[in-house]
Amino acid sequence: MKYFNYLLLLLLLVVGLIFKEHIHISTNLLSLFATKETLQKFNIADKLGYSKEMIVLVKGFSSESKTKVETLATELKKLKYINSVDYKISPSVEMKNYYKDYYPILSDFNSTSYTKEKIFIKLDNIYKDISTSLFYTNVNKFNPLGLFVMKQVKKNISHKGNYITLGDYGYILHISTDVSPSNLTKAEHLYKDVHSLLDRYNDVISFAPFYYSVENSKKIKDDVNKIIILSTLVLLMIYYLLLKNLQLLIHTIIALVSSMLVATYISLLFFENFSALSLAFGMSVTAVSIDYLLHYYFHDFYNSSQKIDKSVLYGYLTTVVAFGVFSFIPIPIISQISFFTVISLSFAYLLFTFIFPYLEIKRYITDRPLYVSEKKISSKSIAFLSLLLLCYSFINIKLDTNIRNIDYQNIKLLEIQSLLTKLNNSKLKPIIVEADNQVELIKRLHMVKNLTMNSFSLANFVVTKKACEIRKREIESYDFKKLNKNINLISSEIGFKDGYFRDSYKFIETLPPCELENFDFLQPLNLGVYQENKKFYSIALVDDITKIKNNFKFVSSLSAKDIFTKSSFQMYEDLLLYSLIVLVVILILLFLSVKVNFLYALNYIIFPVSITLAILTSYTAINIMHIFSFIILIAIGIDYGIYMSNSSQPSNTILAIKYSILSTFAAFGVLIFSTIVALNSIGMVITIGVGAIFILIKVMK
Amino acid sequence: MLKIIILLILLTFSIFAKSFNFTEIRYSDAIEKNIEQKGQITFFSNGIDIYYPETYKNLIYKDNNLVYEVDGEDKELGGIQEQKIIYYLDLLILLHSGDDNVISNIFKISKYEKYMVLLPKDEMKNYIDKIELSRDNGLLKYFKLYLSNNDSITITIDNEIF
Repeated sequence: MKYFNYLLLLLLLVVGLIFKEHIHISTNLLSLFATKETLQKFNIADKLGYSKEMIVLVKGFSSESKTKVETLATELKKLKYINSVDYKISPSVEMKNYYKDYYPILSDFNSTSYTKEKIFIKLDNIYKDISTSLFYTNVNKFNPLGLFVMKQVKKNISHKGNYITLGDYGYILHISTDVSPSNLTKAEHLYKDVHSLLDRYNDVISFAPFYYSVENSKKIKDDVNKIIILSTLVLLMIYYLLLKNLQLLIHTIIALVSSMLVATYISLLFFENFSALSLAFGMSVTAVSIDYLLHYYFHDFYNSSQKIDKSVLYGYLTTVVAFGVFSFIPIPIISQISFFTVISLSFAYLLFTFIFPYLEIKRYITDRPLYVSEKKISSKSIAFLSLLLLCYSFINIKLDTNIRNIDYQNIKLLEIQSLLTKLNNSKLKPIIVEADNQVELIKRLHMVKNLTMNSFSLANFVVTKKACEIRKREIESYDFKKLNKNINLISSEIGFKDGYFRDSYKFIETLPPCELENFDFLQPLNLGVYQENKKFYSIALVDDITKIKNNFKFVSSLSAKDIFTKSSFQMYEDLLLYSLIVLVVILILLFLSVKVNFLYALNYIIFPVSITLAILTSYTAINIMHIFSFIILIAIGIDYGIYMSNSSQPSNTILAIKYSILSTFAAFGVLIFSTIVALNSIGMVITIGVGAIFILIKVMK
Repeated sequence: MLKIIILLILLTFSIFAKSFNFTEIRYSDAIEKNIEQKGQITFFSNGIDIYYPETYKNLIYKDNNLVYEVDGEDKELGGIQEQKIIYYLDLLILLHSGDDNVISNIFKISKYEKYMVLLPKDEMKNYIDKIELSRDNGLLKYFKLYLSNNDSITITIDNEIF
């Protein structure tokens, strides 16, 4: 039993080594804050290639810039994971083939019949044009009378000459890739290749959504590593300086590491995309369990005959119940952290309570008299002050609804993105249109196109099944054989080469089907069709999302800002509901634990919360991670409240709490140094909060 | 002093802009005939100017903008026609510039003693079968565009205008 702690850690490390290949920690922060519905939408957009596009900007419109564009296009096409590079307004081969096949259907068709005289006039004009025009005349031998006139598709692009441009900045290359932001391996590969190519050129900017994944992932990993190292060092220092018991220090660290490992393994089993952020945060929360050890150690629990310490048990149960409730919340990051915390705290509680008594830990001996300060302020006054601070906070409170603000703020990429938005003359925003079948989807895309002034979608290229069938009937009722015969006779009379118009209007003999088999030709424009679970989806770019959404139920916005704003409101609602449940549970458990000292114990919750909230609301907007951190603060406060209310040896309890506060500060306080707003927010709340608890211990009667 | 400045300005123009008389022969397969036109072409750093003195028609392509003038008055060109002309003028500028690095990105180059043959690599091969090109002392001498519909356009530079 003496070596159980070591053996357990060894066993857990072996398990980790065996399953090393299966351990995958996600660094995609935004997916942690998005609801299931939001993620599904992004997934569909991803499949349609919406988030797989890369952009390269070449500054200026000089001949050198054009040369640069041509060279870059050739070099980029050679890179792995790049499908196509578009930089000229001329359509792709696939698009041309589609237009060739569907020419009779897509064109305007003049179905008036042509007399011989009319044919003569038309062909004679062509003849004169060839002979006298300043410009080269290309004779369309298949459609010499111009019965079919192709409408020009209004494209969502600006250009100078044949080169696509972006505002006044310069030329732009649109690159279709195989890389979505969620595929980090591919993203890192292409990111490296593209940057080693572009670094050789001046005045070239590039951007792709997957750049965030690559750059942020590295930053987040570095940040999390830095915090874990810093936190571990500070904790080691505090434990050793305070406890001065190397044996206990080693056992405590082993117990904490074992608890974190168990929680990590079980969390990885339960969550498909367990995040690095949840892991870092969960590890910090695990350090809170040191409360239990400190309480036991300073109350000589390990050398007594006691099996259970009720204060610690109540503290543990309250915390675990609170996090247990939160593990069901439909916000991935909060449910992941809560789940991790329940497992790690439970495992740590079991180790500290049932294993540590057998580790032969030496009794705590001090030669310093314990100093208990003379308390001046009553619990009622503290409660009143807390209520005042809460009122002040609720007057000032502002909620931050942009969830992106709590992600790592990649200034460089955000600036490029805002430059692109500024330069883009087209203010069209993306929406997803869905339908039960392909025919209905095209019909709905046309409905969207007809309702808005400016739009760009599959409907700009494909007609509805009904319109196609009407056109086919018109063509079938026209006498093209007679027309062909007359054209050939008359053209010879005018002086055209014999048989030059032999194939005129023969293209109508094989008309294409009215239901398209695939939309691959639209993929470079990200306007294809994606099918999932018997539903068909396509993206449309529109200028007035609100108007479209008010008229049609089958559309949903794909603008990240709209989605995250909507999703953050949903999150705040969920969080409020779950927080209320947790609060009620905590109050009940608190009452059951302390009964008459209820107000005294309650102050350990409301005082730190009110002070922290008042400080934060006076200078910043409250984000979702602040709110979640308040729950942790409540969980910490309730432990101390129970310990203090039930303590028969207040001086030892105060000492345990002071040490515990220091360790909590070391675990969470270091998060202030994080550049990730989510982690920084947690650090701020916990640091101010535990500071307030420290004051409370000193001043409350 | 003024004379020196004027001389310098004129010298600068002559460095950046070069004008030539040229003959254009278009062969039309539809009527099996050659159509000949004569004109003046000026290449400058950011564009090209083509003038047909017999008809007083002028095409000026500068900074990616195309202007078509008849008797000094601006005329509208249709969207598709304008695109086609720009495409053609871009090609002309490229062939004149003689930047083999860029040309080789778009064409497969076969060099012979007096001329070279360019075979289009990308979508251009749908319209152009090949281009024959000849240069003298780095300056464009003549080029012939073989179009995929059996038509052809030949530009021959007759002499430089000083």
